[in-house]
Amino acid sequence: MFCSQENSNNHLDVEKKSERSETVDLNDNTLQVDISDALSEREKVKFTVHTKTTLKDFVKQDFSVVRQHEEFIWLHDRFEENESYAGYIIPPPPPRPDFDSSREKLQKLGEGEGSMTAEEFKKMKQELEAEYLATFKKTVAMHEVFLCRLANHPIFRADTNFRVFLEYEQDLSVRGKNKKEKLETFLRSFSKTTDEILLGSTQKDVDEFFDKEKNFLLDYHSLLKDATLRADKMTKAHKDVADHFIKISSCLLEMATADTNQLERFATKSADIFEKARKIENRVSTDEDLKLSDTLRYYMRDTTAAKNLLYRRLRCLADYEAANRALEKARAKNKDVHAAEWSQHQACEKFEQMSAKGKEELMDFKVRRVAAIKKNLVELCELELKHANTHSQLLKASIAALREEL
Amino acid sequence: MADDGEIPRKLNDEFNDDDLFASAIEIKVEAKADISLEDDRSNDLSVVEEQSNNLSAADEIDLNSDSEFKDDVDDTNAKHELRSEPEDIFEDIPEPKEVKIDATPVRPTLETSVTSPRTQSYSNYVGTTIEEEKIVPEESDKFITISVKDPQKIGDGISSFLTYNVVTRTNIGLFKKNEMTVSRRFSDFLGLHDKLAEKYLHKGRLVPAPPEKNVVGTTKVKMAGGQTEQEGKLPEFVERRRAALERYLIRTAIHPIFQVDPDFREFLECEDELPRASNTSALSGAGVLRLFNRMGETVTKIAFKMGESDPWFEERHQQLETLESQFRRLQASLEGLYSHRRELAYATAALGKGLALLSNGEDHAGLSRALAKMADLHDKLEGVHNDQSNADFYILHELIKDYLGLLGVVKDVFHERVKAFQTWQHAQQMLAKKREAVDRWESTGRSDKVAPAKDEVLEWEAKVNRSQEEFDSISKAIKKELERFDLQRVKDFKAAFISYLEAQMKAQDKIIEHWETYMPEAKAIA
Repeated sequence: MFCSQENSNNHLDVEKKSERSETVDLNDNTLQVDISDALSEREKVKFTVHTKTTLKDFVKQDFSVVRQHEEFIWLHDRFEENESYAGYIIPPPPPRPDFDSSREKLQKLGEGEGSMTAEEFKKMKQELEAEYLATFKKTVAMHEVFLCRLANHPIFRADTNFRVFLEYEQDLSVRGKNKKEKLETFLRSFSKTTDEILLGSTQKDVDEFFDKEKNFLLDYHSLLKDATLRADKMTKAHKDVADHFIKISSCLLEMATADTNQLERFATKSADIFEKARKIENRVSTDEDLKLSDTLRYYMRDTTAAKNLLYRRLRCLADYEAANRALEKARAKNKDVHAAEWSQHQACEKFEQMSAKGKEELMDFKVRRVAAIKKNLVELCELELKHANTHSQLLKASIAALREEL
Repeated sequence: MADDGEIPRKLNDEFNDDDLFASAIEIKVEAKADISLEDDRSNDLSVVEEQSNNLSAADEIDLNSDSEFKDDVDDTNAKHELRSEPEDIFEDIPEPKEVKIDATPVRPTLETSVTSPRTQSYSNYVGTTIEEEKIVPEESDKFITISVKDPQKIGDGISSFLTYNVVTRTNIGLFKKNEMTVSRRFSDFLGLHDKLAEKYLHKGRLVPAPPEKNVVGTTKVKMAGGQTEQEGKLPEFVERRRAALERYLIRTAIHPIFQVDPDFREFLECEDELPRASNTSALSGAGVLRLFNRMGETVTKIAFKMGESDPWFEERHQQLETLESQFRRLQASLEGLYSHRRELAYATAALGKGLALLSNGEDHAGLSRALAKMADLHDKLEGVHNDQSNADFYILHELIKDYLGLLGVVKDVFHERVKAFQTWQHAQQMLAKKREAVDRWESTGRSDKVAPAKDEVLEWEAKVNRSQEEFDSISKAIKKELERFDLQRVKDFKAAFISYLEAQMKAQDKIIEHWETYMPEAKAIA
């Protein structure tokens, strides 16, 4: 992969990691989705979504389209709003590509150019580029995971909207919501939240399982959020430490060049050491970020999705009970009994379906969560060990080298 | 002394010997003290030779005083006197005629004294050098070890103060005993510095700078309600100060001239409380006087541009300026590094707590345990990061700070040279005037005025000679001192860096250890 830093365009070849898209290998039913390419243009990122499938519903077997972030969100909303998916946990949408911090740093770098040495400037620029690249890769990964979950879900993969998303070659013309619509969504979410809280406190759930789950998820979600924030802080601090090594390294280099030859070699070597140490520390920080923070963050969002499911179910339950009451009233008044009966029946069915499905999903969610966290913890452990070992060896070697210099 | 009028040989004569710098690291300064008033004796002062040495766990430095210094001058009448109060020193010593500080080298060993539980004393990187296979010409056995320990608060409230125990171990003969412990307070250290500065600075010697005053920290300590160090929670500032005082004393001790200075010895030996060096306090009369003096000096520094005849000085001056600015930058970055690492430690601890909470909320037993263990792990990591940041600070940052202080002293010394030059110029001018006066009187035939005028001319001639000699000697002294300074600087830096890296390596090893213990836990999640 290479990244050339120009003002607007960054072209990145994302390696195809076929491990990431878990292929469901049923003979006639494969649907494999991945993001084969991504292009960053000033404000937007364009993802090339590549599909390989043997499903009959699709026109072609191997095709690609270009999608933007908004279109992913559109897709997610379609799923969320779909009543028949109410009993499922909808995979959380990928976060907006966020290059703000990189952009800030770039600005600061530009302003501070006068006060740094050329060496330092070059190094910081490299740093910045690496960071940009990392953020870029992460956002691509997030989008890909989202799509893969949809593709692997037996029900979701058959959804029409999903198909359109994958196939339709033209722009989906999903414009970002304008102000009015944003306000609408905001109000809607606001009312939803209040409803949720209200229901949460008033609606008694008949099923103990769900009740317990609800309480658990609420707590868990807030804990996850907390932990994620702290993990983020830690990775950031780690990064700051690594960045500082650059400054020290360049100071030492300066001293080396200005000094007579007594300290020169020594100082140059030391400067080098700091440089290498920095790279390692940086990698530690990014790995921590990837394995720990991101996992926590992802599961936080997944928990939100699960909470949404529960909410929908409660809503459904409330509706069901309302329907029951209406039925009774109707029976009492002996008016519209049939209609009331029918709607009650509907509500009942819907509710039961949802409960059954929901239970499955929640169990599945638990298993998935444990497995994923375990995997990431193990990987984190391995990476940390690897880096610490490298660092320690670097230090050993450099101490030996420096001693020679004496 | 019979020849008070003579211009006393100055100590710096011993530096004349070019052999001194034959080997890259060794500096031989040797002089033998001789109380004999006889002219025949050639006097040498004991030589303290610095030699690169091994950085063992106890951080030793060698000062080896070796072969005798050969007097260049055949003048056996010449006396080498110790810089100050020559009579006093030698009268005290009961030995009959010759006090020979032996040809055996002096080896100051540095001890690390750990006063606070977690922080190790990183203060002893002054003058430490790294292991080198050096064959010591003669058995080197003399040493001086100084450590500053046990800060203790005496008294209460506004009039309280901290005392430190200064422990010295030596077998230099000049000292009364081989081991001594005295109790000193901060102003005593400042008083010592003042005395040494008064005596040596204007001769071009680099008197090490003492630690800075710190009003905020001191007030905090004064106001804290009667704690002793058992609680181990004396503010960090005290630990920094203690380490700085130790480094200061060690730096002074390895300097061949200061080592044998009577005031220095008194400081280390005298068991009673030293007379309060009250003129070191900022608000005293002497303090105000100092302030005025300093202002005056700053003005002269700017106003008087000395026509530099010696390019060496010009070059050195430039070099030192560059060095200073580099040091400052390095110091700033080190400070940044230190504070970020502290932040990291903090954030790690916070994460640990978050994970612990999460583990409590997690219903899957295996995952819950793994998370709890991870929380522990992060707590331990916090400790490691804290240690790392301490290393950053105590080893590197304080070293740079010390050197910035020393650079200030170098600048002062340069300025003294400028002052000497000024005096010399002034004397020359006066001489010219007096000569003119003589001519004038002679031409006008006022023979009565001629004689005294001629006397004046003689007087000023003598002064001119004297001040020229002083100027030359200070220039020479500065050259030697700076060379020594450079060598010392290189040594210190190398030592400090290597020990810093070693500390970091230890920290990394600890990190490895912690993660390795954690690994099976992570894998064990059912």
